[in-house]
Amino acid sequence: MDDRTLLPGWDAVDAEAASAQASPQPPPGTFGLRILNVSDVARAIREAVRSDPRLADVWVEGEVGRVTVSSAGHAYFTLKDARSTLNCVWFSDERARSVFQPQAGLRIVVHGRVDLFEQQGAVQLYVESIQPAGFGDLAIRFEALKARLAAEGLFDPARKRPLPPRPTTIAVITSPTGVVWRDIATVLSRRWPMTRVLLVACKVQGEDAPDSIVRAFNRLERWIAGLDRAGRSAEAPQVTILARGGGSLEDLWSFNDERVVRAVVGHRLPVVCGVGHEVDVTLADFAADIRAPTPSAAAEMVVPDRADWLASFRRAGDRTAAAVGRVLDAARRELAAERRALDQLDPRAQLVADRERVGLLLDRAVRVAAVAIERRSAALRAAAGDAPRPILARLATARATLAASTAALAVLGPQATLDRGYAIVRRSTDGLIVRRPADAPAGTALAIRVADGELAAEARDKS
Amino acid sequence: MTTEPEGASNGTGPSIESLGFDDAFAELRAVVAELEAGGLSLEDTIARTERAVALQRHCERLLGEAELRVQQLIARPGGGLDVKDIAADEAIEG
Repeated sequence: MDDRTLLPGWDAVDAEAASAQASPQPPPGTFGLRILNVSDVARAIREAVRSDPRLADVWVEGEVGRVTVSSAGHAYFTLKDARSTLNCVWFSDERARSVFQPQAGLRIVVHGRVDLFEQQGAVQLYVESIQPAGFGDLAIRFEALKARLAAEGLFDPARKRPLPPRPTTIAVITSPTGVVWRDIATVLSRRWPMTRVLLVACKVQGEDAPDSIVRAFNRLERWIAGLDRAGRSAEAPQVTILARGGGSLEDLWSFNDERVVRAVVGHRLPVVCGVGHEVDVTLADFAADIRAPTPSAAAEMVVPDRADWLASFRRAGDRTAAAVGRVLDAARRELAAERRALDQLDPRAQLVADRERVGLLLDRAVRVAAVAIERRSAALRAAAGDAPRPILARLATARATLAASTAALAVLGPQATLDRGYAIVRRSTDGLIVRRPADAPAGTALAIRVADGELAAEARDKS
Repeated sequence: MTTEPEGASNGTGPSIESLGFDDAFAELRAVVAELEAGGLSLEDTIARTERAVALQRHCERLLGEAELRVQQLIARPGGGLDVKDIAADEAIEG
């Protein structure tokens, strides 16, 4: 006998169920109902959550409830306030990067995004980072104060004043102890020691630091005002550095104090702010005329580098040498031209009528050359002792040329002419060369220069 | 090439030694500009060159030998203010 004919087959129900699933009844649309899968609902919730930008990037402050850590290292905890509770998940890789860990009862600020955990249908906060609530307060206060002061226009680029190019006095508001002050003095000393640095000491850490910084600004203001009254404004600083070394956000907090910001903005001198490290930004940085990444960088910004200046002095020397070289070349060319002119006037070839013209030219040339040579030689000797090499070389060449010219002029000079029997007649009183009778009326005392010496004579009337 | 002792050249213009850096530098710039503009006689050129070289040396020396002057602004007990020369590492709480 076959039991199977008496009893339903063991798989008969499943088969029916399978056939029912394969051809489902049409939905009872006539009643306006739509039955959703759990997954459909979960997906709808997830889409709603994910499309809300307020939930994609949230900072949430609350108290930590129960904390569990899975064997994989993920932390699960609740964050609660008086009315609500939020489940939080912090995955192990993000958690491992944080020095701060949640503990039951702590007030913390969580940064992350809200999303749905589908398997459990749970909306929860996926944590990226957490901080103790105090930080949250600071960050919020920072942003709020920044927004308020910015709205007031305190950070406007138009307010920024240019730095003086070469301050003779620099005020530094910082702590007198520690490495920052010494670093600033070292940088100024290395780059531009032609200056005076005036330390205005203050506290840069702790609760009374903001007040101390503001008082330092006030002292400096009073000092400058006093100098102005005394007519000694030239001794006043022309730029102020506000500086502090690196530290935690709390350490640097004094530089986010509204009183400090206002002191920076209200200060009469341009302010360079060098607080903390490159990554640290404070409200004093925004308020300052220039933000320097570090205290040392602030010192570098306020003065030029003397190495650049020494290089520019060398360039000035080169330019001087080039300019004087051009003038010497021109002088040499003039002298050479004069010689050529004289060469064309060989006295032996001239008629007696030309005598005076030749004498005149020779005399003028010799006088010009003698005076010039005398002065130039002295000047060249003097310059040679002091001038840099390019100038020295040029001067040496010029001097050699002048010496040659002198020799040439001596050949062509009056001596050669006198040797041939000519004479130069001068008025004894003023040495004027007598070129026409009117130069020597009757009775004029004359000095007649001939080849070997001089004769005294007196002009007589021609008639 | 002959050279004469330093000092033989210091015959022109106001004493360069007495000039401060700013004045010396301003004059150096002016003299170099004058020389570059040209049009000077040989004598003037040489005189200005001497002056320029001496000014340049003077500026270089001042810049090379300068020492940072370090001072601190100090509040006196009565509320007045004083400026005191200090060494950089002997600053006091102020």
